[in-house]
Amino acid sequence: MNSAIELTNVGWRAGKSFELKDVSLKVPMGSIYGFLGPNGSGKTTTIRMFMGMLKPDCGHISILGASVPKDMKSILARIGYVPERPHVYPALSVGEQVKVHASFYRLWDQGWCNELMDRLNLDATQRISRMSKGETGKLLLLLALSQRPDLLVLDEPTDGLDPVVRRDVLSAVLDYVSETSATVFISSHLVHELERICDWVGVMDDGRLVAEMPMQHFKNGIKRLRVANAPDTVDQAPFTLLGRHRDNGVGSLETWVVRDWEAPMRHYFDHVGATVRDVIDLDLEEGFVELLRSSRPQHKKGS
Amino acid sequence: MYQPMLFLHWKQIRMVLGLFVVAAFALPLIAVEGLGTPPGMDAVSLNAYRTLSAFQLWLPFFPALAAAIGLTLALSSWNWDHQQNHVYALSLPLTRWEYTIQKMLAGVSLALLPAIAFWLGAHVAAASVSLPAGLHAYPNELAARFFFATLLSYAMLFAMAAGTVRTTLWVSGVTFGFIFFGIIANDVLANYVDFFSRVNVVEEVYEWIIHAPGPFEVFTGNWSLIDV
Repeated sequence: MNSAIELTNVGWRAGKSFELKDVSLKVPMGSIYGFLGPNGSGKTTTIRMFMGMLKPDCGHISILGASVPKDMKSILARIGYVPERPHVYPALSVGEQVKVHASFYRLWDQGWCNELMDRLNLDATQRISRMSKGETGKLLLLLALSQRPDLLVLDEPTDGLDPVVRRDVLSAVLDYVSETSATVFISSHLVHELERICDWVGVMDDGRLVAEMPMQHFKNGIKRLRVANAPDTVDQAPFTLLGRHRDNGVGSLETWVVRDWEAPMRHYFDHVGATVRDVIDLDLEEGFVELLRSSRPQHKKGS
Repeated sequence: MYQPMLFLHWKQIRMVLGLFVVAAFALPLIAVEGLGTPPGMDAVSLNAYRTLSAFQLWLPFFPALAAAIGLTLALSSWNWDHQQNHVYALSLPLTRWEYTIQKMLAGVSLALLPAIAFWLGAHVAAASVSLPAGLHAYPNELAARFFFATLLSYAMLFAMAAGTVRTTLWVSGVTFGFIFFGIIANDVLANYVDFFSRVNVVEEVYEWIIHAPGPFEVFTGNWSLIDV
């Protein structure tokens, strides 16, 4: 499978406070890839790394088949980028900012830009410094989409926006993707938001990529099990055990959180003399939290 | 690419630049104000020495204005980039040197406006005074010096402002360190090495920089609109 974004063993250190540790991820071409993680987990740093804004200490990055940072100029011409914080010039009007931005992109589609401006209710004469957060967010998306990018990189694009604007922004992204074969890389800490739109998901925590899988797998594969007579050790299990704890006052019953679960895996417990009493579906947010909890070192779990 | 850079810089600085244009036009006129023939005296009998002395009072303002324009253009050039950590610049499909050159050229273009105003002001000023015999006006030469002084100040500060705060501090630290420790080292070495008792190295370097053929000669050279 071709990858739109491919990071191989990328590491980067910012003093003693933060480190990206051996990050390897693959964003399939044409996918909508949700990049999840709590605040400060390294999402924006990873994005800046493959956008060529930061130079990795080690590892290799390729975007749309070209190498970063060697081919950065041609790569950036094909990327629509919405940064975490607005990067537009507040002294300009919307129309002026559009004109300035358009002059840097060969594939700029002014017709599509005008259409989007109407759809997103943006006024070309309005000064950017007087725009609300939601309007600025819509403008950033307008600039990114009007470039007709092959890859759309959205860093927390809906953070702090009201639900109506959030819906406008996401539906504009989805419409663009349905018309083109563009790849979307969208980072967020709002799990439920990505659930609706993404087909792949990567989870960052503490500078590490702790999971990467198809969204369907993420949604259906993480379960909470109630296990009677649970074995002390888990050997050669067909699933990944994320966590386990003994239920208070319920005899030998334990609660397990597992990943990559499928119904036939119940037979595993028969072999080890245990019984699965319940298989409980987790919603995406619960699954996300369990995934993070299991990926953190023991000393952090207690904190 | 040059056009949007020029537009962005213009949007940021147009108010201040307007004031600089007015100041650049007015300064030569203010400098020659009162140099006209006093009542009861004809131009020929006006003392050339007195004319030059009166004009020289204004000389420090010319390089100062040029330096101020250069400084303002340089700082405003990078102001917004610094505020948003260069994210916009780095996300554009340009190499860093292309972006920097376009930005630099935009600032140079804007520096032309006060230079042209100064040139016009110098011509009007030169035409408005009756010069005593032996004195001549040099509006073109003065305007060229003004433009080059603006460019030098702009280029130097543009380069410094292009870097991070750490780079700026590093460059400033090395400069001041050279001056401070150079003076001390020279004084100490003068006790042991005859050469250093005769030559003050820091002073020599300073003199070379600010006088011909040093790069800062444009500031310390002849700024006279009226001269022999």
